[in-house]
This record gives sequence, C-alpha cells and structure tokens, in this order.
Amino acid sequence: MKRDNRLRIIRNSPLVVQRGFIGLLVLSLLVFPVASQASSVIGESNTYVQSRQAADGTHILGAYEYLDFLAQNEKNEDVTFNIGGWLRYDINGNEFNKRSDTDLQYGYLSYKGKSSNTIVNVGRVMVSEGVAAERLDGVYARTDLVGNFGLSAYGGSPVEYGIDLPGDNVIYGTRLTHQVANLYRVGISFLKEEKNSQDFRKEEGIDLWVRPVDKVEIMGNSKYNAVTSDWASHYYYLVLGPFANVRLSTEASQINYKDYFIGASTSAFSFQPGILDPNEKARILGEEIAYDVTDKVSLSANYKAYTYTIAGHAQYFGGDVKYRMTSSSGTGLSIHKMDGGTDALRYTEYRAYGYTKFGKLGLTLDVMDVAYAAPINNVKDAYTVAAIATYDMTERLRMGADVEYSKNPDYDKDIRTFFRLTYKFDTTSGTRKEGM
Amino acid sequence: MKKKTVQIAFLLLLLMISLILFACAKTKSMVTLHPIELTAPPLCSDCHTDDKTAMDHTTNYITRHKFYLAQNKQACNVCHKEAFCSNCHAHKDELKPSDKYKSSPEMTLPHRGDYLVQHRIDGRLNPASCFRCHGRQNNERCATCHR
Repeated sequence: MKRDNRLRIIRNSPLVVQRGFIGLLVLSLLVFPVASQASSVIGESNTYVQSRQAADGTHILGAYEYLDFLAQNEKNEDVTFNIGGWLRYDINGNEFNKRSDTDLQYGYLSYKGKSSNTIVNVGRVMVSEGVAAERLDGVYARTDLVGNFGLSAYGGSPVEYGIDLPGDNVIYGTRLTHQVANLYRVGISFLKEEKNSQDFRKEEGIDLWVRPVDKVEIMGNSKYNAVTSDWASHYYYLVLGPFANVRLSTEASQINYKDYFIGASTSAFSFQPGILDPNEKARILGEEIAYDVTDKVSLSANYKAYTYTIAGHAQYFGGDVKYRMTSSSGTGLSIHKMDGGTDALRYTEYRAYGYTKFGKLGLTLDVMDVAYAAPINNVKDAYTVAAIATYDMTERLRMGADVEYSKNPDYDKDIRTFFRLTYKFDTTSGTRKEGM
Repeated sequence: MKKKTVQIAFLLLLLMISLILFACAKTKSMVTLHPIELTAPPLCSDCHTDDKTAMDHTTNYITRHKFYLAQNKQACNVCHKEAFCSNCHAHKDELKPSDKYKSSPEMTLPHRGDYLVQHRIDGRLNPASCFRCHGRQNNERCATCHR
C-alpha cells in the first residue's frame, strides 16, 4: 500500500461508535436486573461540566458523563463484565463541530482461570503485549505453558481514530514469553494490521526485564518494522537502588523516524519538509536521581540529552522537591529547562502546588509559569493559576469545582471553569481501591 | 494461495503445540484482587521481596510503567481497573487527564497549563512521545489544526 493511502483520513462515523456504546449499555442494563441477585458491581460515574473559550472565540459548555463498571457473579468470580465510556453534550454550541459525541473506551466479557493464568477477553479490549499497545474489537487470550513459557494471542478489528479504509480492517498478533521468577522475563512478539486487505503495519519486537543482582534492573524493548525492514525504536532503562534512599534511572533510546512514524491518522506525523524528516534519527540519553530525604520529603534531579542525525541536539533538565505531609496534604516545587537548538525551542518551566484537606473539604492551588527564550506573539511568559475545591458529600459522593486563569501567547486572558461530581458504587466487600 | 496455505498450516501446528503445552502447565493463577487495600502510591517492596519489588510506585515509576504493562498487564489489574488506564490512554477523549485529575497535582501528567503553545516545542524535539498516544488514536483535537 502506498504511504499516501495509509495517511488517507476517512472520519469514523460517530453513529457507529454511538450505536456500539448505546448497544452495550442497553445490553448491560437488560442483563443486570436478571442477574442482580447474584451479581456484584463496582464502578464509577464522573459527571463534568467544562466551560472554556475555543480558539475561534466561541464559548464551549460541555457536559460529560464518564461511566465505568465491572460486574461479576458472586458465585463465579472467574467471569466478569467490564465496560467504560463517555457521552458529551455541548450545552452552548458545537464542540469539534458536533453538538454531542460518545465513545466506548472498552467493553468486554472476561474469563480468568484459576490455573495457568489463563485469560480470555471478548469484546472491545485493550491489548498490551510486547509491540502491541492496541485497542480492538475482538478476542484476546493468554496462558502459561510448561517450562515457564507463556503465550498470548489476539485478533479482531482495530479501534483507531480516522483511518478506517473501505474493506477489511484486521489486526492480529501474538507474544511468546519465558521467565525465571525474580531473574528475568523475556518476550518476542509480532503484530500485523491490514487495512483494505493490504498490509498496513507489520511489527516484530523483543521485550525484557532482567534483575541480575539485587537492586539492579534492566528493562526495555526493541521494535522492528517489517514493512520498512528496519528497526523502528529501542527503549531501555537501567534502574539502580535504593542505596541509602537513593535511586538512579538511566534511559537510552533511539527512534528511527522513517520506521517509527508509520500509519498516523493526523498530518502532524507526516513526512513533510519542516515537520518530520524521514531520515531523522533521534537518540535520547537520560539520567534521573531520586533521593528520599525522609518519609515525607523527596528530591529528584533529571537530565535528558537529545541528539539527532540531522537536527543537531537538545537537552532537558531540572529538578523537583516534594513534601508529603499526610496522604491528603502536601506541596511541591519544580524547575525544568528545555534547551533546544534555537531560541524558538527553548523554555524554562516553573511550577508550585499545594493541596490540603480540612475535614470533608479539599483545597488545591497549582501555579505554572513557562518562560520562552524567544517571545511568541509578543508574549515572553505564559502562566496558569488553578484553584480547586472538592467536598466529600458522602463516602461515595464527591463534588468539586475549579477555576483556571491563564495568560499565554494564544489568549490574553483565558478563564476556564470545571465542575465535577463523582459517584462510586460498589456492591461488594472487595479490597480494590476505589477509583484506581 | 500456496503461501496462505503454509501460513494457515503453521498457525494450526502452533495452536496444537500450544494446547499440549497448556494442558501440561499447572501454575496457580495470580490473584485477581490485591488482598490488602493499598494507599497510593504503594511501595511493593514494603511487603514483597520477589520481582514484585520492581513495581514500586516511586516518583519516576510513571516513566517506566509501560514496560511492566507490556510484559505483565495482569499484575497491574490486581489493583487497577481498566478505567484507570483508559482515563489517560483513550481511543478518543476531549478532556485532558490533567483536567480530570486537577485536584491531584502531585500526579505526573502531561499537558498541564497552556500546552497548546508548549507542544510545538516538545513535539518538535521528541515527536515519538506524542505519537504513542496521538498517532492513530485520540487526535481529534490535533486534527483541528493538523488537517
């Protein structure tokens, strides 16, 4: 398939998504009354109302409902039903040119076996297996095999935004792992995606986690693009510690642009002069040192060096201090500097925040300032101040509101307000932390 | 046609071998729910001494969580519901995670404050960091300018 075809954007029909979401909700509502006596349900409803001004000056007043729940039969905990999604209605106008919108984030029936770590998920599933970090409508399964091997496989229709082509859109893949407990886990994986019955993505990869000795860990992955026949990326971390409350993390990564930025559904990642050069290769070397001074105070410093085959180099560095007084109150300060090759790619970011709780009332203040090396639209400093208040009406019901004021190169005065109402429901006595 | 037949035969063979190996495996499955309620962010090493200590939720754990997820998502699901992932890693979303979690400023989240201007710099220096979430998903807002 030609690259032009890969980048061809055909908008998803909102109706398809809406029908899917509404269909699953209706199905679940039909199933639950029947099964309610034997079922338990945990979940969360988040209602948000956001008021802001869009870049074109229109006032947006979006009302959102995010709903997720997990249901299971109390007598048979091996099978669960999981669903999550959102609906939005713009009270004042047409956000993103649509008065309303919906999305089904996930919705699947899951079976987890008592032995061999067997899992079978059917529906809209999120797959994270080696090279795959995908959302698909189909089937995902994994199991342990003999000799400390493990195998996973998945297949279905890819759930992506804006790149469905006419005809068959299929994604499938597999991952084989081997592990020795406490020493290493290594996996090899394969993914293939077809659009309009032609190869769209063919990726192969290796992932590993190794702990050769105590307090030393190496982890990472490499991805090979079988369409372009070259390595797309390598990401590796070395983590050391803690040694007297000090932890060190070293990152070494490489991204080959022509092999990595394939199949994007926005022109932001297209190979065009001034945007992305397909011959570019980026190498990132980073180091982070974190030191827990006490149980409540922690310091960290980090540095990242970016080197490019074509563009030159850049670096990002800074540090932060955090003071955690209690689980619900603390403060933090941070300074970071982005130092690109030109003034247009340089800024310094300052941030200070604090949060505390007085009984049922929670208060948060968050201040950020970004100082650009070169003024943008005659603005040298962009700052944002956010004040947030929450109130726990009951153990399960929390309401909150926040106001954000900012001045930046795009807005002389930008005021945003956000209202939230969170309700957690849980008909079991399980120990999963609510909201997590 | 011949290539397709070979591929199907290979997959069937792989399936048969897998079924035999599966039938012989007798490992006990990981628990589906952590037996003790944890306060965030947990340090697994407070109780565990095995490879679970690698999942200590230290301040920079967020930068490495993708590796543990890609290798063993099952371990994440012991404490986190699927919604915890999708609240940030969305197929399509109009609200930034930093807006949803504004009352938790200690969380490491991208796009705080005025990211509209800043993304032009960060995106130029490391576009791969944008691509992972916005390459093929959740880029409706990107498309308003990047048509």
